[in-house]
Amino acid sequence: MRRRPGIGGLQTAAAARDQYRVLGGNVAKLRTDLMKEQLTTFRSQLEEFARKHKNDIRKNPSFRSQFHEMCAKVGVDPLASNKGFWAELLGIGDFYYELGVQIVEICLATRLLNGGLIDLQELCKLLRQKRKHDREAVSEDDCLRAISKLKTLGSGFEVISAGKKKLVRSVPTELNKDHNEILELAQSQGYVTVDEVERRLNWTYGRAIDALDTLLDEGLAMIDDGHRDGNRRYWFPCVSSISSFVADS
Amino acid sequence: MQKLGDFKLPHFFNYPPYFTLQPVRETREKQIQLWKELILDYCRTQKIFVIKLEEEFPLFSNSAIERTLSHEAREAFLSDLVAEGRAEWLDKGRRSCLILWHRIQDWADIIVNFVKDNGFEDSVMTVEEIRSGIESRGTSIHTFNHVNELDLDKFPFAKGKLAIFKGTSTDDEGIKFSV
Repeated sequence: MRRRPGIGGLQTAAAARDQYRVLGGNVAKLRTDLMKEQLTTFRSQLEEFARKHKNDIRKNPSFRSQFHEMCAKVGVDPLASNKGFWAELLGIGDFYYELGVQIVEICLATRLLNGGLIDLQELCKLLRQKRKHDREAVSEDDCLRAISKLKTLGSGFEVISAGKKKLVRSVPTELNKDHNEILELAQSQGYVTVDEVERRLNWTYGRAIDALDTLLDEGLAMIDDGHRDGNRRYWFPCVSSISSFVADS
Repeated sequence: MQKLGDFKLPHFFNYPPYFTLQPVRETREKQIQLWKELILDYCRTQKIFVIKLEEEFPLFSNSAIERTLSHEAREAFLSDLVAEGRAEWLDKGRRSCLILWHRIQDWADIIVNFVKDNGFEDSVMTVEEIRSGIESRGTSIHTFNHVNELDLDKFPFAKGKLAIFKGTSTDDEGIKFSV
């Protein structure tokens, strides 16, 4: 379109812009419509898939985990509510609800031994023992999903990382970075000494003692004065399998 | 799992901090509870009645982890058992503790049943006779070694079932059963 000078030219330019805008809008709408259609198709295919493979999803943890990932990609959350298509089709809501309840039971039962912090692997192990009559296997991924559901209930559950381990926290204890670093340090031997904390983390004596005392008060650490070298050791049940000797509740 | 003879030791026995009396109350309470259960279980299965705090007692140390309970810890656990009625101090100095892995009422029932089963009602027996009598009939209780160490008044005998005669010496102590 040739630019014409003067008012006429401006009007033409404005009209052209308008037309482009409408066209642009149309294209966008077209794209969205297309996407929506694709999404709808994908969702119904996903539903079909879920229907067909219902048993595999229930019985196979890694299959289940991949299924969750697929769902997440299309914005479907099978656990979003206990009612509705997904819950009814898969009964999956019940599975995670049940897991959640069992996880809470285990955390409560072990709390006095580990202060409310338990190693995720340890938790899964205890969970499997608890569910041994169940033919449905449980993976760490399942545990994490059940715990994230627990989180939304505002139950104070949280998964924290300390070094190589994932720890499940079931009490509202606030652990700061210092505490976390000590938990990480404790993983190699199951305990730390004040000296070690000072040296390895480059802290002052005061800072080390402060953090250790808090961990002690919160029930996350236990003292050991029995070593022949006379140095006090701070042991952390949550980084060892000590939770295993819990009496069944 | 570690064993002491035939006895299976619980996992906490191998965790060093449990051999140090914990300063934090909640943690200490759990610790005491675990130790009390262990002491009662061990004494029951090994038929041990008396623990002497200053002597070697298998539960008080674990050589595998090189830890030993301090005297303070030993006293704390046993005192808690006493408070619960599952043990008695045999001396004021708290050096010796009688473990009642049966409750006193249970001991009393055992004695009464023995008497009934063996037709000893209305007879008078010395404590020694009762003890050897029970032993010889194969009932696996060696209770009476220590019954006379207890204050017999504590036993709920006074239901008109038993009368205790005190002789000039403890050897003459006798019990008459009118079950």
